[in-house]
Amino acid sequence: MEKRKIIHIDMDAFYASVEQRDFPEYRGKPLIVGGAPDKRGVVAACSYEARKFGIHSAMPSSRAYRLCPQAIFQRPRFDVYRQVSSQIAEVFKEYTDMIEPLSLDEAYLDVTDSDLHSGSATLIARNIKQDIKAKTGLTASAGVSYNKFLAKIASDMDKPDGLYVIRPEQGAEFIEQLPIGKFYGIGKATEAKMLALDIKSGKDLKLWPREKLVSRFGKAGNYYYDIAQGIDNRPVVSSRIRKSLGTETTFEHDLGDKQHMVTVLNELAVKVAESMQRRNLHAKTLTIKVKYADFTQVTRSLTLEEAFSEVGSITPHLPGLLDKTEAGDKKVRLLGVTASSFLSENEADNQAQIDLL
Amino acid sequence: MKFIIKREELLPALQIVNGVIERRQTLPILSNLMLSAKKDSLILTGTDMEVELITTLNQALGADGETTLPARKLLDICRALPENSDITINVNGDKAQVTSGKSRFTLSTLPAQEYPLVEETEAIVEFEIKQNTFKSLLDKTSFAMAQQDVRYYLNGLLLELDGKKLRAVATDGHRLALCDTDLETNLTEKVQVIVPRKGVLELIRLSQDKDENIKVKISTNHITISWSDLHFTSKLIDGKFPDYTRVIPEEGNAPILADREQLKQSLTRASILSNEKYRGVRILLEKNKLRALAHNPEQEEAEEELEVNYDGSDMEIGFNVSYLLDALGIIKTNQVILTVSDPNSSCLVLPEGESRCKYVVMPMRL
Repeated sequence: MEKRKIIHIDMDAFYASVEQRDFPEYRGKPLIVGGAPDKRGVVAACSYEARKFGIHSAMPSSRAYRLCPQAIFQRPRFDVYRQVSSQIAEVFKEYTDMIEPLSLDEAYLDVTDSDLHSGSATLIARNIKQDIKAKTGLTASAGVSYNKFLAKIASDMDKPDGLYVIRPEQGAEFIEQLPIGKFYGIGKATEAKMLALDIKSGKDLKLWPREKLVSRFGKAGNYYYDIAQGIDNRPVVSSRIRKSLGTETTFEHDLGDKQHMVTVLNELAVKVAESMQRRNLHAKTLTIKVKYADFTQVTRSLTLEEAFSEVGSITPHLPGLLDKTEAGDKKVRLLGVTASSFLSENEADNQAQIDLL
Repeated sequence: MKFIIKREELLPALQIVNGVIERRQTLPILSNLMLSAKKDSLILTGTDMEVELITTLNQALGADGETTLPARKLLDICRALPENSDITINVNGDKAQVTSGKSRFTLSTLPAQEYPLVEETEAIVEFEIKQNTFKSLLDKTSFAMAQQDVRYYLNGLLLELDGKKLRAVATDGHRLALCDTDLETNLTEKVQVIVPRKGVLELIRLSQDKDENIKVKISTNHITISWSDLHFTSKLIDGKFPDYTRVIPEEGNAPILADREQLKQSLTRASILSNEKYRGVRILLEKNKLRALAHNPEQEEAEEELEVNYDGSDMEIGFNVSYLLDALGIIKTNQVILTVSDPNSSCLVLPEGESRCKYVVMPMRL
């Protein structure tokens, strides 16, 4: 497999940095953005000033409070974070469409095919950081490497405002010296197990054959074996948008009766509508597929003015579409109904409401 | 610190302060209220870090000091004690003893120095206004505020002052409510602040329909509203409210004059068979006639017909019926004036004979 160029971008103390950006009075102070507003709530994020007190995210807020009673507690403003997150996503889109967001403040980018900056992933990462800073006033740390695993670890090496590159030729050495607890996917529990087996670093892990790791750790053993060898072939998966949704049925005996065919189409429409509603999709185009007894097939489509998601909006159009085929004259062995041209979520929510602002 | 107070004095104050204290808290001290005894007065403070309430009681007897106590528990205890009992609160170290008759409760305290109070900042403008006028301004506009919109500056109410009037504006991006009241201030430039939704709702809860003045102080980050014995402070939303003036249409030359109650009832009935999610209702206009049509995904239909004064061209226009009903519900005049110019432009809804409030509703494409 050709060496890939993966960038992992991770915003620095994201929620806390947004708060410090928006409220100057919090700057330079230990700030904790609290999770569930509950006595048992946890720290969702904290500023670097707060980290000096040993506070870290996912720690119970009560504990954080004991560690640093003078810390400012702020409830998270997720709507603002989401807004900033979409600004950051806009930046990414300038560079590639191979983007896999992990959360509001973290994403993998695959820039293998990018010609920007003479194809230098390091320069791309630097420019992304600059663009994020210019657009949001916040700093990000970037990790650049040839797979997701190393890119993710790299982004953590030089935080905050970091840029760390692990080149293919450095990969093996880097993994060898890495303490076992630093491996992504090895948490506290696994770390303890590994240490008990005298696996302290990547170098120690590399000595273990695959079968032994699998017998100790189950399926995860495969992953541990691979990452010790610097192998991580997981692709950057950009969230694909579903383009169409449909269902079809083949008959035991070819159908000749058109009325019967309409009944079948109606039943298929019910399935499609249910499935669309489960996914909260609204389509504008309706297609039927007819395969004749001689295995030739045709499709007929109709694009409606108003988006539909309910069966009641589909069925009235089915007989008309069927009339545009030779069904009836020819016997039919398969019928299908497909919905496509989906509205985006936003459009769907306000499909008809016109905006004032 | 020790003081004695009548239950009937303490209870209402506790109820008010508990209004802002959230039951579920990230920070333990935020479920407490702060008590400060000074001379013969007792000051109670509650906060959720966004809204702060301070109320003063003058009927307390005792020694000076300050502490914080679990707000909810103190309220529940106070409420459950017999009427007209005397309540003694005695703070000793990190415990507070609450006694009344033969009842005794020991509550944990947290140090008052750690209670997060709003820092006073310099006022941009201060003014007095009749409490009922202010409340009515909020009542007539707050329903149009956005809720958890990504455009965070819409999740609140705009207050605008220009030296001559006070204007409240709220919009969720689909409809808008605006209301003015005369107000002389020494401002020479326009000042705009956005009070967050929670603060607005709290203010409405605290305001009464009384003809007495309240004091309002606006600073860069906060708004403070003071009654004789109660201070309300809310953070302001740090953002710029959109230019609402450009979306308010002119009064047209072919207005619809309708009986408000009749129109409201017709639309309420039609809405029963509108799509539950989109709430679309089709309005058909002809000379002196308005028809409202609705249908739902089950293809059930409603049709309402109403006599109105209208001399414009025939038109068909769709609306989210909830937006129209919200405006019609808040307007108090017998007649309303609606202006629509075309099916893609905003509709202006005005109370007849009253120019201080305006409602704008954007149509739906049907």
